[in-house]
Amino acid sequence: MIIAYACAVLLWLSLIAYAILGGADFGAGIWDLFSLGPHQEEKHRLIAQAVGPVWEANNVWLIYLVVGLFTAFPLATAMLATALLLPFGLALLGIVLRGAAFSFREYFNQPIAARETWGRLFGLVSLLTPFVLGCSAAAVASGAIRVFHATTQPALVSAWLTPFALVIGCMGLAICATLAPIYLTVEAQRVRNQYLAEVFRRRAFAGGAMLALTGIGGLVLAPSEAPLLWHGMLNHAIWAVAITIFIGVMTASALFWRRYRLARILIVAEVTALLGTWGLSQWPYIVPPDLTITNSASPASTLQQFFVSALLGMLVLIPSLWFLFHTFKVQERTPMLHEREIEGD
Amino acid sequence: MWSNLLAARTQMGTSLGFHIIFAALGVGLPLALCVAEGLALWNSDGTWMALAHQWARAFTFLFAIGAVSGAIIEFELALLWPTFIKYSGAIIGLPFALEGFAFFLEGIFLGIYLYGARRLSPLVHWLSSLVIVLSGLSSAWFVVSANSWMNTPAGFHIAHGKITGIDPYAAMLNPSTPYETAHMILACYVVAGFGIASVYAMGMLRGKRDAYHRKGLLLGMAIGTAAIPFQILTGDFNARQIETVQPPKYAAMEGLLHSGYGRPLYIGGFVDTRAGKVLYALVIPHGESLLAHFNLNSFSIGLDRIPKSEWPANIPFIHLAFDGMVFCSFYMLAIGVLFMLPFIRRQFFLSQPRIPERRWLLGLAVLTGPAAILAMELGWMVTEFGRQPWIIYKLLLTKNAVTPAMWMNVTFLVFACIYVLLGITLIILLLQLARRPKPPQVWPELVRGASTAGSQAREGATER
Repeated sequence: MIIAYACAVLLWLSLIAYAILGGADFGAGIWDLFSLGPHQEEKHRLIAQAVGPVWEANNVWLIYLVVGLFTAFPLATAMLATALLLPFGLALLGIVLRGAAFSFREYFNQPIAARETWGRLFGLVSLLTPFVLGCSAAAVASGAIRVFHATTQPALVSAWLTPFALVIGCMGLAICATLAPIYLTVEAQRVRNQYLAEVFRRRAFAGGAMLALTGIGGLVLAPSEAPLLWHGMLNHAIWAVAITIFIGVMTASALFWRRYRLARILIVAEVTALLGTWGLSQWPYIVPPDLTITNSASPASTLQQFFVSALLGMLVLIPSLWFLFHTFKVQERTPMLHEREIEGD
Repeated sequence: MWSNLLAARTQMGTSLGFHIIFAALGVGLPLALCVAEGLALWNSDGTWMALAHQWARAFTFLFAIGAVSGAIIEFELALLWPTFIKYSGAIIGLPFALEGFAFFLEGIFLGIYLYGARRLSPLVHWLSSLVIVLSGLSSAWFVVSANSWMNTPAGFHIAHGKITGIDPYAAMLNPSTPYETAHMILACYVVAGFGIASVYAMGMLRGKRDAYHRKGLLLGMAIGTAAIPFQILTGDFNARQIETVQPPKYAAMEGLLHSGYGRPLYIGGFVDTRAGKVLYALVIPHGESLLAHFNLNSFSIGLDRIPKSEWPANIPFIHLAFDGMVFCSFYMLAIGVLFMLPFIRRQFFLSQPRIPERRWLLGLAVLTGPAAILAMELGWMVTEFGRQPWIIYKLLLTKNAVTPAMWMNVTFLVFACIYVLLGITLIILLLQLARRPKPPQVWPELVRGASTAGSQAREGATER
């Protein structure tokens, strides 16, 4: 069933896309919460400007992941939804409140105090979703969700609040807290604000350090807490671990020498490598140890049409995305000229 | 405490009832936006452009809320109804995935529309709003085709208790799809049209009788009035189709407790299933038979021919909701005609285009917006309540699809509180948006100055 594997890879890619794009939105919220002290308003504004244009569309990756999963792997989806109802419910809560708080803060004229309250809420709930999603990922990877006769038990706290899960939850936070400031250094450089670029550079180091620490913590705990994942990693993903560590060091170096654009590319590669390594280590399980990609997949007719629909969708989306970025880029390069045109009239 | 099933159903219902408003406005509003911007470009008219900008700002916000509440629904499908997903994911997951693409396309072109106004030629900018209209329309079609499948499942076989021969495209094009999708997409235009008309009629009642409000009212009324006759017509087709494919739902809608020849039409009233009669209704003898089969003495199946275990749970409510929807639709049709006929007469025969402005008529027009939303919510409740006790008609019972987790009461309570809080905040903030000073309406000012809603919003932020 090569098509089942192809669909699994497709869904894994949309998970990575959500982490890279949606993760940065959460990271922006987290650092928004800690943007105190002098130049506070400046930081908030840079964050709002960077998040503003793209954030509505980012939920689509998560939506696509959920609907794709229930189209291609309905049994796995039903089991995950049953077992992890509580953490997924909390993640949803975070998504709703974050979206609402951000748009309430940005789109309406309000007294400063109200805007600050929305801003605080935006920051606080940005902590919730990445953390519980990380915990859920750990619950899946550790093999805590058992399936008997196509049914499973809802887990109140047992599966997703283990020490391993808590570490991976923090890793989820760390990914977001590293992604956002690196993107923001580029933004700050673009508007030629050296001070903010330095602020976000320091934050990127802080987030990166947390990411490295949780990574080590995960590796230490994995042999006992997630044996299947550990053996999978040793068997067929050790090279991916090496690449992930290598890219991580490269990212830190790029940041150290203030090559922000390069650092942005590298952190995207780093998150891709990190999630890719997880996927590769867990291969061929989708919910270890009972559900594999082949034993929980939909019939071939569904998988084929799902895959073809994804290709056709890409055929429409990629030119549209190109057009979007093209429009933005042109705008980025030539705002001054346009201003002069207006004055000249 | 409530049962797990009831709590889960109420949570799903609350989420959908909230989402449907934003989704409908998100599909309908771009049409108004696109038409207004087209008129602005055609006539070099600043007022139309100002309206388009105002609607773009409102649409951005509705789109954001729609995206978030839509994400919740997709999650809740799996979280609350895992057995439904296990059973049907392979068959009906595809339209959801396609809807994801349509939604993404809408998001991309919304970005282009909002932030590209300075860099794109006016024509390309206008065309990007047209893409938003089309992608919104197709995402509505995909999602509603999945709901149609729950009413008339197709595209698979059952052999020895196992599902085989799955054909996702046949499932998507199930017998109910043409009727339901047409009815829902028209509902989006009805809601957006009369919703807009309602806002500007309210403004005019408060004394703002200027070109800006007149044009807003006119375009809203025109869209709503163009859509509502077709909405009533497709509603009629739907009812006929439901009679053949889902007799219990039809009988509950019409309050038909007994089968027989030449059945009456009950308008309103309380369907007392225990006593076996309809109380306090306006009864039109032979009316149901005439409407349904164009024959005074034709035969109609009532609930007595259907086993009690397959009766929908809230028959009195379904009947009243159905009648309420029909009443609201005819109300909108009447007000729309009262507005548009004089306008058309003056526009084309007297060449003095003005819409009627009498206070009583404006007052009635204010009510069309709430009526449109009410009709949509009631119609959606008819189709969902009417399908019970099935989640997939004749295949899977709702009570067998619900999650085994026992704390549904708590999650429902939390989500209900959040929806109530968000709803209240949203209404307050939208009212503030409506009361904001009007955007500039002079054509050269608009074309020269910051002509995107996005950059205006940003300027607003720096002013603050």
